[in-house]
Amino acid sequence: MGRVLLIFRLVLADVRRHPTQAVILLISITAATAMLGLGGSLHGATQALYQKTRAATAGPDVVAFAPGTGRTAIKTLTSLEHVPGVLTHSGPYREYYTKLTAHGSTGAAVAQVADMTPGPVDRPLVTSGHWIRPGGVVVERGFATALGVHVGDHVTVAGRSLPVVGIAVTAAHAVYPWAPGIGPGGGPSDGGGLIWLNERDTRALESAADTSVTSFIDLKLRDPGTALAWHRNPAVTSAIGDRWVNVRAWQLIAEQDSLMLKGSQPILVIGSWLLAFLAIAGVATLAAGRAARQTRRVGLLKAVGATPGLIAAVLLTEYLTLALLADALGLITARLIQPAIINPSAGLITTATGPTGTTIAVTTVVALGVAALTSLGPVVRALRTETVAALADTAHRPQHRAHLTRLSALLPTPLLLGLRLIARRPGRAVLHACDTAATLTTITGLLMIYAQPAKGYPGSSMANHLRDAQEHHVILAVTAALVALAAINTVTITWTTAQDARPTMAIARTLGATPGQITAGLSAAQLLPTLPGALAGIPLGIILCLPFSTANTTWPPAWSLLGAALAALPATAALTAVPARVAAHRSVAHTLSAEAT
Amino acid sequence: MDESGDVLRVRDLYKEHGHHESLVRAVDGIDLDVPTGQMLAVMGPSGCGKSTLLHLLGGLERPTDGEVWLAGRRIDTISERGLARLRRRAVGFVFQAFHLVEELSAAENVELPVLLAGGSPRAARRRAALLLERFGLADRARHLPWQLSGGQRQRVAIARAVANRPHVLLADEPTGNLDTTATLDVLRVFEDLRAAGQTLVIVTHDERVAATADRLISMRDGMFVDDTRLAGSTTGRLDGLIRLED
Repeated sequence: MGRVLLIFRLVLADVRRHPTQAVILLISITAATAMLGLGGSLHGATQALYQKTRAATAGPDVVAFAPGTGRTAIKTLTSLEHVPGVLTHSGPYREYYTKLTAHGSTGAAVAQVADMTPGPVDRPLVTSGHWIRPGGVVVERGFATALGVHVGDHVTVAGRSLPVVGIAVTAAHAVYPWAPGIGPGGGPSDGGGLIWLNERDTRALESAADTSVTSFIDLKLRDPGTALAWHRNPAVTSAIGDRWVNVRAWQLIAEQDSLMLKGSQPILVIGSWLLAFLAIAGVATLAAGRAARQTRRVGLLKAVGATPGLIAAVLLTEYLTLALLADALGLITARLIQPAIINPSAGLITTATGPTGTTIAVTTVVALGVAALTSLGPVVRALRTETVAALADTAHRPQHRAHLTRLSALLPTPLLLGLRLIARRPGRAVLHACDTAATLTTITGLLMIYAQPAKGYPGSSMANHLRDAQEHHVILAVTAALVALAAINTVTITWTTAQDARPTMAIARTLGATPGQITAGLSAAQLLPTLPGALAGIPLGIILCLPFSTANTTWPPAWSLLGAALAALPATAALTAVPARVAAHRSVAHTLSAEAT
Repeated sequence: MDESGDVLRVRDLYKEHGHHESLVRAVDGIDLDVPTGQMLAVMGPSGCGKSTLLHLLGGLERPTDGEVWLAGRRIDTISERGLARLRRRAVGFVFQAFHLVEELSAAENVELPVLLAGGSPRAARRRAALLLERFGLADRARHLPWQLSGGQRQRVAIARAVANRPHVLLADEPTGNLDTTATLDVLRVFEDLRAAGQTLVIVTHDERVAATADRLISMRDGMFVDDTRLAGSTTGRLDGLIRLED
C-alpha cells in the first residue's frame, strides 16, 4: 500500500509540475482515439440506427410499390396481404411526386397520403409537433433538416401553402434523399424528401395534370429474416403475375441509408491512422524533451534507494494513466460526434450506438501503445544510466556532427543556429518533417475531394449532392483535427528544442547572438524540416487517393498542391514565433547560473 | 575607450532582486574605473554580488540604477540587440562551469564567436587554430568538451572568449572547478593575455588568482570594502607562485 501511495504521490507531483505537458499528451492521444473510435464504430452503425427506428415505428418488413392508382395496381397490392407468411399490413397508400418549397428553396418530394391514425405497420414517430390533421403537413425529419423547416413554418406543395404541424421519422422509406423508393411510372427515382398529407389535402395534387403517382403497401412478415427473398416466394409471384410491382425488403432500405457513409468511412479510418501517427510523434517529442530531466530524477530516486522496479513504475504509470484517460475521453468524444456522422440526414432516431468492444479494445491498445512506445525507451535508458551519471545528466549528450557543423558555418547566423539545433537532435527534425508530411497528405486528400465535380445521374443527383456534402464535411473535420494536432506538435517541438538547447542558446547570447537571431534560429530549426516534409506529403496524399480514383477522377491543379506545400512554411513560422521568442528572451545570466548548479 | 583611457567605467551602480521584505541588494552603489590593460581581481564571500557585478559589466543583466560605460559607450540603456552586438566585439566571458557547447569540438567552440560576428568560416578556423596553438591545445582541437580535462576545457573557454579580440575579458570564478595544475595552466593563459595588453576582470575566491592581479577589490554585501593596487605584480609573481606550488 505504501509503495502504491508513493508511486501515486510521485506521479501526481510530476503532473502538477508539468501540467502543460500532461495536457498536450491528453489532447494528442484523445484526438487519435476519438477519430479511431469514430472510424471503427461506423461499420454497421447506420444499420443499428435503422433497426432502432424500425422497432420504434413498427417499420414494415416489405414495401411493395406499383405505379399508378388504377384498379389493377391496387388489386395486385391488396392480393399480397393474403400471401401466406404475411402477418399484417397497412395501405395501400398513394404517394404523389411533387415539389415542395420552403424558405425560398424548392426540393423534389413525395407526398404520402396518410391515415389520421396510422395503421399497424409503419407508425411514423413524431419527433416534434403532432401527426397530420386536415390542412397541415408532416415533414420527414431528414427532409425538414435539409430545408431548415420547423413546426409552425409554412411550405408550399402543388401551389398550396400549408403549415408544418409535425416532424417525424419512419423506417418504411429510405432516409432523405432516397425517400421515393421508385420513380414515376416505376422508373428510377431522382430522389427527394417525404411528406405526409391528409387525403383531403392531396386533391390539388390529384388534379394537377403533370403529377405522377405510385401506390404502395407496407407488409409485416412472420419471419422478417426472409424479407429479402420474399419476392421469389411462389405465392408472391403468383399474386403479382405479370403486373409491374417493385418489392423492397427492409434490408435494402437499411443498406440505402448506409450509402451516405460510403465515402466517409475510408476518410475517417485513414484520418484516424494519420492522427494516431501525429499523436505518437507528439508524445515522442514530449518524452524525448523530458528525457534529460527524467534521467536526473531517476538519479535522485536511485540515490535515495528506489529500486529499478519502483522507478519504472513511477515513470510508466504517469504516461499509461494519462493514455487511459485520453482513451476514455476519445471514446466519449467519438460517441458524442457519432450521431452527426452516422445519421447525417437526421432521418433516423438519433441515439449514439456507442463503440463496440472491438473498437474499445483497438483504441485502448493504440493509446497504451503510443504511451508505451514513446516512454519505454527513455525509461529504459534512464534506468540503465549509472546514478552519478544520471545526476550529472551526462546520459543525453548530443552527438557531434562535423559535416552539418561545417556546412552551417557558411550560412547566416539564424540558419547557422537552426542547422546546429537540428544537428543536436536530428530525430526531432525527422519527427517534425513526418508531422508535416502527414498533414499535407490529408490536405492533398481534401484538395482531391474538393476537385471532384458534383456527381450526377445515374442514381440521384440530389442524393449525390448530399453525399458529396457529407464527404466534404468529414474530410474538413479530419483535416482540421490533423492541422490542429500538427500545430500543437510544432509548438511542442519548438518549445522542447528551446528547453533542450537553453544552455547552448544562452552561450550564443554571451557570444553576441541577438534575441532576434535566437528566435529566428529556433524557428529555422523547425522550418528546415518543414519544406521536405510538406513536399513529401503531396505525393503521399496522391498515393493514398489512388485506390479511390477512377479514369474520370479530376486531379487538383498542380499550383494548388504546391501552394498548400509552400503555405506550410509561413504557418510553421507563425506557430514557432511565440515559443521561440519567449525562449530567446530568457535571462542569460539566470540560465547559465542554473546550468552551473 | 573613453578619454580617460578606462575601458570600463561604472557610476553609482545598483542591482536589486525581489520586492519589499524579500528585497536583496546584490550591488549597492558601486563606482569603478578599469583602465585598459589592467588585470582586476574581485574577491569576496559567496553571495556578496561579485557575479552579479560581472553580469552587469558585460550587459548580461541590467542594473536597477546607475551607469555602465564600456569602451566609451554607455551600455545600461541600449537595447538587447545593441548589447548582443556589443558583446560580439567588446566583451568576452569565461565561466566557472566552462559553458562550452557540448556537441561542438574545441576548435568549433572557438570558431563560434567569429562566425556570430560575421567572420568567414576560413577566418574563424584560422583564428581558432591560432588561439588553440597559443594556449597549448593544438592537439585537442577536434576533441569534444567531455573528452577534455577541466583545465583544457577552461583554456578552450578562454580562447573562445578572446576570439574576437574583446576590449575586456570578464571571468567568473575561472578556476573554481579546477585542481592546482589546471589552475596554474589557466593562470599562465591569463598572464599571457595580460602581457598582450588584454584587460581582465576576474571574480574569484582563489587567492592565488588574486595574487597575480594588478589590482584587488574586496566586496561585501554588494559594496566595495577595499581597493588595493598590487604594485609590481605584472612580472614574476606567477613564476613565484608556480615554484611555491611545486
